[in-house]
Amino acid sequence: MSQKLIDAITGMREEDALAITNELLDSGVAPVDILNACKEAMEVIGKRFESGESFIPELMLAGEMMSAISDVLKPRMAEEAATEKLGKIVVGTVQGDIHDIAKDIVSFMLDLNGFEVTDLGVDVPPAKFVEAVKQTGARIVGLSGFLTLAFDPMKETVAALKSAGLTDVKVMIGGGQIDENIRQYTGADAYGKDAMAAVAIAKSWA
Amino acid sequence: MIACATVIEDMLPLLPEDVPHEVLDFGLHINPAELKKVLQEKINEASRDADVLLLGYGLCSMAVVGLQATTAALVIPRTDDCIAIFLGSCNAYKVETKKEPGTYYLTKGWIEVGDTPFEEHKKLIEKFGEAKAERMTRLMLKNYKRLALINTGQYEIERYRAYTRETAEKFGLRFEEIEGSPDLVRKMLFGPWDDEFVVVPPGETVTYQSFTQH
Repeated sequence: MSQKLIDAITGMREEDALAITNELLDSGVAPVDILNACKEAMEVIGKRFESGESFIPELMLAGEMMSAISDVLKPRMAEEAATEKLGKIVVGTVQGDIHDIAKDIVSFMLDLNGFEVTDLGVDVPPAKFVEAVKQTGARIVGLSGFLTLAFDPMKETVAALKSAGLTDVKVMIGGGQIDENIRQYTGADAYGKDAMAAVAIAKSWA
Repeated sequence: MIACATVIEDMLPLLPEDVPHEVLDFGLHINPAELKKVLQEKINEASRDADVLLLGYGLCSMAVVGLQATTAALVIPRTDDCIAIFLGSCNAYKVETKKEPGTYYLTKGWIEVGDTPFEEHKKLIEKFGEAKAERMTRLMLKNYKRLALINTGQYEIERYRAYTRETAEKFGLRFEEIEGSPDLVRKMLFGPWDDEFVVVPPGETVTYQSFTQH
């Protein structure tokens, strides 16, 4: 039955994917199993992209299907999961960059893992991060950026948080070719290679 | 000169005949690890016959970080990617980014090579039909507002202008033409290799710091 869902997602059949999700839930399949099927489908699409068989627009549609399915699953999962949140996080793609595929996945995974996420979107100026941290009382900030052009705005955002007196706020960065060298350059506290790494870092700070 | 297929288009008119050049596939840019590998191989081959190797690349998603020529110097424009090369300087690129971060840039090279979402769209139509392809490509472009043709003044602009204008209309983007400049290309070919270039002596390795510290 889950295979049907995997096939629908990898076949880019949006309506089918949602209908099958509802069928699975009605027949008593656990939301977490449906989520695992989604993950498997995403891996298939990711491999096709790496081999040049699929293009970015296909990843985008797969992402849309994932968020539509998660909207259906979330209320059911919230019933099962602990209601207490682990902490508040502010995330966004930094100024000058408009890439959001990876940021959206990170937001989604953080949310799923019990964090209260404020997603500021793309091309977010340093001052807007500062303001959002002050407003929400978040103690963790996630900065995303795909272009190497994003490294300087990341550095500026880290500096802006510090000079606003938010010295106890931890900053994690991710996206594109970010590594330890870039973490040091920006002054961030940690970097992550993928969404699971972002969740692990956030949990270690919570 | 070792250059990307899109960049060489704007270099050839200025490139002296006695400078040998090697052109690498544009498609390499989506896989920085592979681009790094190919570039290192080409550097190894070319450094047998040259004292200086000019790389027609920018940082290109860190693909040039880690490169090394044992017996030749490497000269690389101090830019994030080739858009700065077409616009003539890093500063011009920053001005354009600030004006509209959601810009998809086109040049003659890109249009000719055809490795753009607009050409991929045609393949998506074959695979999924018109309606679904349209939904996918528009999703991909959802944060883009402007489609800009960089006019580097080298070619039959009318044809590329028409292509860019039509494509912009089709996908709901604002068409704009931006004046390019051959300044950086000219300086790369004829010097001086000032602050706008990363110059790595023989035996030394290109680092990210080479691009940020000057």
